[in-house]
Amino acid sequence: MKPAWFDYHVPRDLQEALHILDDAGQEGRVLAGGQSLIPMLNLRVLSPAVVVDINRIEGLNNLRAGKDCLTIGALIRHADLLRSPDVCAGWPLLAEATRQVAHMAIRNRGTVCGSVSHNDPAAEHPSVLVTLGGTVVIAGKGGCRELPAEEFFTGTLSNALAPGEMVVELRYPRPPARTGSAFVEFARRLGDFAIAGAAATLTLEKDTCDHVRLTILGMGQGPFRAHAAEERLCGRRLGPQQYKDHFAEAAAKVAADVDPTDDVHASGRYRRHLAGVLAQRALETAFVRAGGRLG
Amino acid sequence: MTSDARFVNLKAVGSSVIPDEAVPLVEGDGRFLNDIKLPGMYQVAFLRSQHAHARLNDVDVGKARQLPGVIKILTGKELLGKVDPFRSMPNRFSGGESIQHWLAVDKVRFCGEAICAVVAEDRATAEDACELIEVDYEPLPAVTDPRLAEQDDAPLVHDACKNNYLIKREYQRGDVDAAFRNAHVVVKRAFRIGRKQALCLESRGCVGGYRESTFTLTVWISHQLPYVVRHYLANHLRLAETDIRVIVPHTGGGFGQKASIYPEEFVCAYLALHLRRPVKWVEDRLENMVASTHARDQSIELQIAADKNGRILAISSDVWVDVGAYSTYLWSAGMEPLQTAGLMPGPYRIEAMRYCTRGVATNKTPVGPYRAVGRPSASASLELLIDELGRRLKLDPVEIRQRNLIPLEAMPYRNANNLVHDNVNYLPCLKLAVAKSGYERLRKEQCEGNPDGKLRGIGVACYAELTGLGTSTAVGPGTLLQPGRDAVTLRLETTGALTVAAALPSQGQRIMTAMRQVASDELGIRLEDIASISNDTAAAPYGFGTFASRTAVFGSGATIRAARELRGRILAIGAFLLDVPVTHLTITNSVVHTLDRSRSIALRELAEKSFFSAKSIPQELNPGFEVTAFYDPKFGSFAGGAHIAVVDVDPKTGEVAVVRYIAAEDVGTLINPAVVEGQIIGGIAQGIGEALLEELVYDETGQPRTMTLADYLVPSALEIPRIELHHANVPSAALGGFKGCGEGAIIGALGSVACAVADALIQQGGDIHEFPATPERVLKGLGVLRAE
Amino acid sequence: MAREHRICVTVNGRVYERTVPVRLSLADFLREHLHLTGTHLGCEHGVCGACTISLNGRSARSCLTLAVQADGADVVTIEGLRAQDGTRHPLQQIFLENFALQCGYCTPGMLITAIELLQDNPDPTEREVREALSGNICRCSGYQAIVDAVLIAARQSRAARASATP
Repeated sequence: MKPAWFDYHVPRDLQEALHILDDAGQEGRVLAGGQSLIPMLNLRVLSPAVVVDINRIEGLNNLRAGKDCLTIGALIRHADLLRSPDVCAGWPLLAEATRQVAHMAIRNRGTVCGSVSHNDPAAEHPSVLVTLGGTVVIAGKGGCRELPAEEFFTGTLSNALAPGEMVVELRYPRPPARTGSAFVEFARRLGDFAIAGAAATLTLEKDTCDHVRLTILGMGQGPFRAHAAEERLCGRRLGPQQYKDHFAEAAAKVAADVDPTDDVHASGRYRRHLAGVLAQRALETAFVRAGGRLG
Repeated sequence: MTSDARFVNLKAVGSSVIPDEAVPLVEGDGRFLNDIKLPGMYQVAFLRSQHAHARLNDVDVGKARQLPGVIKILTGKELLGKVDPFRSMPNRFSGGESIQHWLAVDKVRFCGEAICAVVAEDRATAEDACELIEVDYEPLPAVTDPRLAEQDDAPLVHDACKNNYLIKREYQRGDVDAAFRNAHVVVKRAFRIGRKQALCLESRGCVGGYRESTFTLTVWISHQLPYVVRHYLANHLRLAETDIRVIVPHTGGGFGQKASIYPEEFVCAYLALHLRRPVKWVEDRLENMVASTHARDQSIELQIAADKNGRILAISSDVWVDVGAYSTYLWSAGMEPLQTAGLMPGPYRIEAMRYCTRGVATNKTPVGPYRAVGRPSASASLELLIDELGRRLKLDPVEIRQRNLIPLEAMPYRNANNLVHDNVNYLPCLKLAVAKSGYERLRKEQCEGNPDGKLRGIGVACYAELTGLGTSTAVGPGTLLQPGRDAVTLRLETTGALTVAAALPSQGQRIMTAMRQVASDELGIRLEDIASISNDTAAAPYGFGTFASRTAVFGSGATIRAARELRGRILAIGAFLLDVPVTHLTITNSVVHTLDRSRSIALRELAEKSFFSAKSIPQELNPGFEVTAFYDPKFGSFAGGAHIAVVDVDPKTGEVAVVRYIAAEDVGTLINPAVVEGQIIGGIAQGIGEALLEELVYDETGQPRTMTLADYLVPSALEIPRIELHHANVPSAALGGFKGCGEGAIIGALGSVACAVADALIQQGGDIHEFPATPERVLKGLGVLRAE
Repeated sequence: MAREHRICVTVNGRVYERTVPVRLSLADFLREHLHLTGTHLGCEHGVCGACTISLNGRSARSCLTLAVQADGADVVTIEGLRAQDGTRHPLQQIFLENFALQCGYCTPGMLITAIELLQDNPDPTEREVREALSGNICRCSGYQAIVDAVLIAARQSRAARASATP
């Protein structure tokens, strides 16, 4: 399982990288962590003519937990997030999800931006970015642009990058106070690709749901934002006697709305069922962490 | 539970001696197949079929040949007439012959079948060249379901095999019809186990070397049976066997998958001869998923007739095994079907049995031997049905097994499948497992329910495993190959050190350490003075090899016999040198001494004298110190056990976790307890994998869907609980009292976990018949996801 | 030509300068170019863990790293675990004494992963050990002896630290 030939470039600055990527067009691939790209090269499911190694580019390894926003540069590894107390404290959903990414050796090398760009339907980061209302910063030869997360993910293993563009940064707003979050995933073994998962944040104002966001992963087309379920919950009173039923109802809506595909790991029907189960678990856990009162 | 004391009672046998064999491995100095590099060595990649069934109209290697770095591209046509293809091994129950060309000639019959061998300067270039080969396939209809493949109108995988039966056998012993007629209760059940593979962490590989030493052909091969490889290489390459040397390097797992004869290694050897250069082939994981033998993939319909006390009067089974596209060379397609049906009675007293078993060809990778072969599925299907019988008669699973296990007082007991059970502790193992598990409390807790909503299941499984088979039985039912000729050579060296030589390669089970321990006790020579040679046909005597849990019995038996002869020779010279009667002498800690210790001579000195001052010793007393002995125990030695698995099932996701596992084993006299423990726990882990995780999936056109390790799931450290291992050992009748322990545990594990999952579901009014018990199947079994 | 690249990499304390094909994996570089065959290939897609080495102090799959990416890096393989005088790393000794290897194919990755775990978490629970090792497949042992070996190593370090403190 040796890769086909490619031309390898290791530019020292971003402009040079973008220039090479632009030249290569569809035949170019960015190499950051390589934990998604290299297996595909080894399996020869991908044989790009040009590989651009961005690991030597200055300025791409920024990790900044600011007052309002967390910025993650293109060279930040999953493990870097877990080693940052500020990230873990300020964006617990991100930390909780990152702990589920594969295994330590993969987390040491794989990058958050890489995972987002790759947009595997089973990956954790795309759904977390959506739930946290994040932004993707894209650089191309023509300049930089920003996209809200949901506009970036365009389908299975697809994104809104034009040929020659790459993700240089992710931005996550800081969740407000009284926000609880939960990332719940179901995989056959720890670290496996998720069969289904749910990333939820819930902000309470007294007993009332002030704000809720819920994204489901593993449904086959990229992160599924459960808008209808959110609408059901937003503004609702989630007292100790009510919250369970409301979450069950929201979960049922999720299960009805997702459109999962069959694959060798699970049928669409099972995924649909899991989406509901995990949505409910994620909402209940987020609720508890937001300070919700239990019956 | 880990074995402690380094030495027990000052004897080597029974002590957990730290194996010297492990030292290079832990230091990173192992020499596995892919570590072998020879000057000028080429590398091979195989172009493999993309279709499950197709005619090969044309194979155009023109472009590929031009690629710089490509040395040669071998096709099936070129091999025609030069080498003999693999014809399915003769088996009395064959449905027809399957002929497997090393490289496909007219047809491909499974996805992954080798079509061309590309030889290049490096592997990556060889793979580049493969992409440039153009194959004109004419797809043919594929068969993938044995129940459809056996229909009269199904496409044939082999023209000579009607109804695609590679094997079919019916058998009956005892008056089965009468038993079913007169039974108080009849229960029946269907069982299905998916396709799996051994998943050795090191896949296969071969290096062929031309004139690397005095041999014309040297073959390094990751394999369990070096002498068998040599024999068939000679046959098929039309070389003299004495021109060939086979060496097995360190091997990263075997489990039976590396015990078959495959085309790729033989192609590699052919290329080395043809090119007169070393040629290496390493199977990568993508290839391994389709090119190395698969296992299991069985449907069983089983019935039990019992009396009102739950005593089994007769069993009747129908078995279908999807054996894939070819009858695996060496073992034949009969292995799984004949063993599954034939060994169904297990450890139970069963007077009458009947079966009809079929090995049906399909357009998938051929099925070959894998740890315990047909026994896990036979046992699991029977254990599930025994539980059902118990439910019908309101008997607890332990109770109903107690009534049916062959008790010691009935032994020797000849079962309905004509096997004689003796010297094996089925009932004591069950009692021990029950006691150590706190079984009654487990059942009570199960009734009380889990506060977290999980469904608790408890499974009990008892198994019998015939180990150390001798010449009384063939390698598999109906096959005409008999193992049972395995030699051990003991050689005292000029310095008084001892070499133990046997062609019994280990893949981690430390066979030579065990042989050294046996030799140490028999001869009174210190363990540190004993070395071993194995794995090399130029250095070790003939042996069939490592498979079927036999080396502890065979190797030890031969070692003991050779040691007794050698001891006699040593003492004869010792008596002469010390001028005492030979009956006054013994050997302890590498010193020959009188019983009262008044006179002694170190073995080192005795050896040096015998070699270098030979004229001072009468010739008739000094015939040399190299002794070779065979050991044929004739009949096998039954090992047995009782396993209890406790599972928690998540009724929302269908996830199954094994939360506790208790195993009580009878594996005879232990040579190295820690090694045995490792074998048992390893076997249990593979059985848990079989029960819950591992499945090779194909679509209806014969395309494999599980192609990487992200798809084919083996247990990690989180899926295996701490195994509580207990022993109720009784010595076998074989020399030394040893039994094999490599395969029994996987039988117990599939059975106990399958029964535990079923138990959890049945408590809720559900059930499960198909394994692995994936979350989806569990939810279907609970009625949460309705079956489509 | 962008198909070969010069790299300078430190492996087990020794500096190597080599020109390598750009598509060569770090695993193949170690094994074929530096003849350090202790690192094993079990899948070449990052799942089995047999190829795990230490890259700049952290575990990494050498099958998922290009050799060219290791330019300027510090790599430690199983061959680099022993002391200068050849003494085994304490964990290797414990593996040996506790029968924590059978065929030995997974062992290089297990050692590197376990060493990293004990650096990050000197006093792990059994569950934590199993989680840390869950990315390393072993087909022979059922993991128990390996887990026990790591727990013993943790206990021994703890005892050594306790006796060292005044």
